[in-house]
Amino acid sequence: MASRERIAIVAAGVVTPIGQDLDAYWSALVTGVSGISRIERFPVGDLRVARGGEIKKIVRSPSFKRGPRSEEIDCRASRLLISAADELVARAGGLPLHPDPRRVAVVIGTALGGVEEGERALAGDRRPSRLAGALYDSPTRNVARWLGAEGATLTVSTACASGATALGVAARLLRSGIADLAVAGGCDILCRFVMKGFDVLRSLTRDEVRPFDRRRSGLLLGEGAALVLMTRERDAPAGPEPLGYLLGHASTSDGSHISAPDPTGRGLEGAIRGAMREAGVGAREIDFVSAHGTGTPLNDQVEAQVLNRVLGRRAREVPVNSIKAHLGHTMGAAATLEAIMSLLAWRHGQIPHTLNVEEPDTECGLDVVIAAPRSCRPRITLSSSAGFGGCNAALVLEGA
Amino acid sequence: MSAASVRAPRLRAVGLHSGWGRGLGAVPESARVAASGRAVIRSQPLALSGDRFRRATRECLLAVAAVEDALEEARLPRAVLSGAGTALLYATASAYGSSNRAFIEGTGVSTLHFPYTAPSAVPAEVAIEFGITGAYLIFLGGAPATLSALWYAATLLASSECARALVLAVETFEECADLYAQGRWLVPRPLVETAACALLEPGEGELSYAEHRPTHAARRDLPLRERFGEAFSCLPLVELGLASAEGRDLSLTGTWRGSQASLRWLETPSQSGQV
Repeated sequence: MASRERIAIVAAGVVTPIGQDLDAYWSALVTGVSGISRIERFPVGDLRVARGGEIKKIVRSPSFKRGPRSEEIDCRASRLLISAADELVARAGGLPLHPDPRRVAVVIGTALGGVEEGERALAGDRRPSRLAGALYDSPTRNVARWLGAEGATLTVSTACASGATALGVAARLLRSGIADLAVAGGCDILCRFVMKGFDVLRSLTRDEVRPFDRRRSGLLLGEGAALVLMTRERDAPAGPEPLGYLLGHASTSDGSHISAPDPTGRGLEGAIRGAMREAGVGAREIDFVSAHGTGTPLNDQVEAQVLNRVLGRRAREVPVNSIKAHLGHTMGAAATLEAIMSLLAWRHGQIPHTLNVEEPDTECGLDVVIAAPRSCRPRITLSSSAGFGGCNAALVLEGA
Repeated sequence: MSAASVRAPRLRAVGLHSGWGRGLGAVPESARVAASGRAVIRSQPLALSGDRFRRATRECLLAVAAVEDALEEARLPRAVLSGAGTALLYATASAYGSSNRAFIEGTGVSTLHFPYTAPSAVPAEVAIEFGITGAYLIFLGGAPATLSALWYAATLLASSECARALVLAVETFEECADLYAQGRWLVPRPLVETAACALLEPGEGELSYAEHRPTHAARRDLPLRERFGEAFSCLPLVELGLASAEGRDLSLTGTWRGSQASLRWLETPSQSGQV
């Protein structure tokens, strides 16, 4: 049964276009590095927009095998997840993560799963392993096997809110006693499928991504993987402080439109209020908002309206940022990367600024952190996310 | 393997649309016999009217129909689902396959088809159609994904985070039949296109859930597959409906790609230690 027990986040691992471990990621965030570049890994010449947050080379090189007798995994999403898992494991003290592997759950959020494997299969590579790899839960299964985890292995797909939903589901597994440890997070890759899809929808900007800027004109996509190691607070290992705590989560539906956000924002508001309720946190206690902030005209407008309703008079006082101009929109990985950023902001006493904001949209009515990182220690963070199909998710996190 | 328990929901109704026909009564005694050699049992096209559905995929239409059937079975009006009091939990192993393929190959779809490639498109159409704005979870995988969704729904109901929950599963196969044929030794035939929906309300019993990677000897699965055919994530909901109709134990076990999930579901309060 779910309770409000705090869930400790004891370790993390990331692979992003701006850094492939926590230190590099944080450093790039606060120094304002952009990971946006022309895409080189697959043909983009026919697309309106050919840029994104592409990882040019996976730097960490663990064995990309499920086990010693397995063949090498060549699914890119799985490789990103395993690279992030490699850092997480190193920070957690190595494998095994728990003496009983059946007590370790893996929960991965993804919008695209192994879709690139599907593209390869339909291009003619009909090996059964390729076909199986096209299933969206394949990367989750690969990283679970790599970790030696034999507990609940769940793939959640609330589109671009998946990385938040995964953390929420993992917390419920822990609070319910179904697992003692959970490796949770999100992952998605840039591939032709998704680039073409967003390109034809005209969601991608030819300009820079400018969240909450008056001139914002769309998003750019990115790729990455982010994982956190979670446990019940009472089970957290002695020793170094955890990164922080997950206090609350909620995922809701808009019930409004297949791809556009509900202009009223009622679903997103429901998610935010639900997460705050589970956390036992009121608007006065929110120190920082890590916004979804895609840089599309409608998303940022709706999100700002919702934050104004939830935070009330504090909306103009609480610092808000979006890191999607650094990374591109990393879809299933985005919310987990933002959660990790929030906990690092507490640890380092700085909030990374939102890149490319030159003319803040005053109609948003928010205190968007721009131009330079802001010195402050945000203990309680609200992180909001949304995605196709009217998916919304929110997390409330606390720095340790 | 230890299992964690939560207050069990009450199974109010199960809606079912499958290649065998509408409702639980259409389920055959033997899938192999009923299939007569067919590899895929296609679900009949549904006639849902309205301009809103002009781009909706077949899997979306099946999902809406399954929810309609659950409401009809429960003798409830559509309006009861509207709002934040209803949670919607969706599971599928592969229902996104046909729309993904159509988009990748560019066959007969407009550019606006892209949002329908997302697994979230199916529950989105349901949420839009019935005005559902409550808790919203999407689990990907076979039968264990549905068991996870049932467990999650039980936790939402037990903690009053929702007043009712829909657990929905959909699988379609025809558009990717050639791909399934190439892995036919992995996927038993026939493949039966199915949309199933369980309507849950707060209950008084106990439900326990566990998931792990079993040893080969400990592997168990739903015996229903022989009777119904392969329907991945939909099978647990079909089994729930049949078990409920026949007054049998609602407990379920399902396997998928090396994982096994078990749900022990006692609708009335158990004696101490029973679960």
